[in-house]
Amino acid sequence: MRDQAHENLIELLQRFMDEPTARAAHEDIQAGERFLEAYPAPTPDVRLIATIKTQMAVAALRRHRIARLVHGSLAAAAAVIVLALIGLLGPGSANRSHMSYVAIIPPAIWESDDITADDLDLAYFSSEIGQIEAQVQALDAGESESGSGALDEFEDELMAIQADFWKG
Amino acid sequence: MYSGRCYGYFYRLTGDRDLSDELLSELFIRLVEKIGSYKGGAFESWLFKIASNIFHDHLRGKQRRKKLLEARRSQLELEPDLNESRLSDEGEERLDKLQTHLNRLDADTRDLILLRFHSELSFKEIAELRSEPIGTALSKLHRGLKKLRELMEG
Repeated sequence: MRDQAHENLIELLQRFMDEPTARAAHEDIQAGERFLEAYPAPTPDVRLIATIKTQMAVAALRRHRIARLVHGSLAAAAAVIVLALIGLLGPGSANRSHMSYVAIIPPAIWESDDITADDLDLAYFSSEIGQIEAQVQALDAGESESGSGALDEFEDELMAIQADFWKG
Repeated sequence: MYSGRCYGYFYRLTGDRDLSDELLSELFIRLVEKIGSYKGGAFESWLFKIASNIFHDHLRGKQRRKKLLEARRSQLELEPDLNESRLSDEGEERLDKLQTHLNRLDADTRDLILLRFHSELSFKEIAELRSEPIGTALSKLHRGLKKLRELMEG
């Protein structure tokens, strides 16, 4: 009998029955398992294994892409929230209408006729947006560095498996 | 390594190579999907728990299909052509002696025997996997293997 689990079956059986009964049960178990060894089950076809590997690689890739998509969406949502907060805290926030609370650029800018001042404010906001975008991109690049490596690995593996599959 | 053991487990449960192919594919796809839920410990235990669940899902689906078939058959008064002595729906394979006698055991005992043999887990792990007391698992396995021995020797 195979005993990869390294357990003492007789000892285990003796916890539930007397010694002669445990020995007889042990013999029955051994004899039964010898038949299982004598009639080995067929092994999976190599083409099946190759197909499964391809399916696994594709499934893993899909999981990875979904994770990246979720991460990207969260980063974009965070950027929009930050921009909206900047809009709320910007100059003239006290006089804004109720509707303007969802706007990124404070209404003071487009409601004003002072083009020079507007240009400065727009430049200020453009600069802020640029900085936030750069931060989001840096965060994204920093966090997905290992992820893109894993992505490349999956793609390489997928190509290798596909090559093996068609050879086989 | 694992694929051969899992395939053997599915094959001895179903006696059908095509079905075993399908179940093995499903197992490894589910493995990728569930890899985040693996919390360490015996990998075999986790793997065979998923394998066992897949087989039982398949059985439940098969029972549903069988009920549908029976309902349709009685409606259309078709001749029954299902071979109930085999688990395979459409297998043309010739079953070996062991498979024939394994199919005579009840499904739960057969599952336990094959789980023990192919997973190589300890009784403690098997009992945990099956959510039953270790004494119950031991007793069922003993009765099942004794019956199998009698059938094979008879």
